[in-house]
Amino acid sequence: MDEKTRTRVGGPEDPREGLEAVVALRRTLEALEAAQVENAIVAGWSWARIAEVLGVSKQAVHKKHAGRIRERYRGEPPRREERGA
Amino acid sequence: MIFNRFAREARKCVEAAVEEARMLGHDSVGDEDLLLGILGAGEGRAAEALSSLGVTLEGARDESEEMLSGALSSIGISLEEVRREAGDAFEMRIPDNRRIPFSPRAKKALERALSEGHRLGDNRLTSEHVLRGVLRVEDGMAVRILGGMGVSPETLEERLFELRGRAAG
Repeated sequence: MDEKTRTRVGGPEDPREGLEAVVALRRTLEALEAAQVENAIVAGWSWARIAEVLGVSKQAVHKKHAGRIRERYRGEPPRREERGA
Repeated sequence: MIFNRFAREARKCVEAAVEEARMLGHDSVGDEDLLLGILGAGEGRAAEALSSLGVTLEGARDESEEMLSGALSSIGISLEEVRREAGDAFEMRIPDNRRIPFSPRAKKALERALSEGHRLGDNRLTSEHVLRGVLRVEDGMAVRILGGMGVSPETLEERLFELRGRAAG
């Protein structure tokens, strides 16, 4: 797999490869954010504290992630719900 | 709407494509997702042609992920390490509450699917036309995925014609 990858991907001098790296990074970033927010909730962090570290509003982070995490831990919330989030 | 002229079989491919895109974390449905959708729906001449050339859904998904991890490694990021660092919570899947639009390349592929239908004089659009449309996207991801699996657009089109001839008897 490594060899195949290496032959297909060159340096950033090719605009297409450069742009495709951006797309790949964006998709990975989204997945990483979702995972780390979930990890923080499981670790008992409040939405407010998560939002503070991410540098966004509590409403924004809650709106983006709460539904998915609730769905994932249906019936057994990873920690007590915070009110007013 | 373009989909009105799609027969059930072609629509199934498109629906499966949206699901594939969601699963792989594609924030838009790309031409490669249409290819995966054809394989996922697994019906019709397109699926038959693909499987006869050894193109499987699993293989194409792996190839797509390899392209992602290859793009990341070109800027010095290891998908494996990101995954290890983030733990079990890490998944590329796009949450169900987020809508996924069709990419310009996917739209192009679907438009070309329609023209292929006209060109061939078929009045119902099937998976075959979707596949032909996908093959006609220049510089498309689907063609590159197929290339990575050792299948050229020409070989596939030939196989489609063969299957067509066999069906006509």
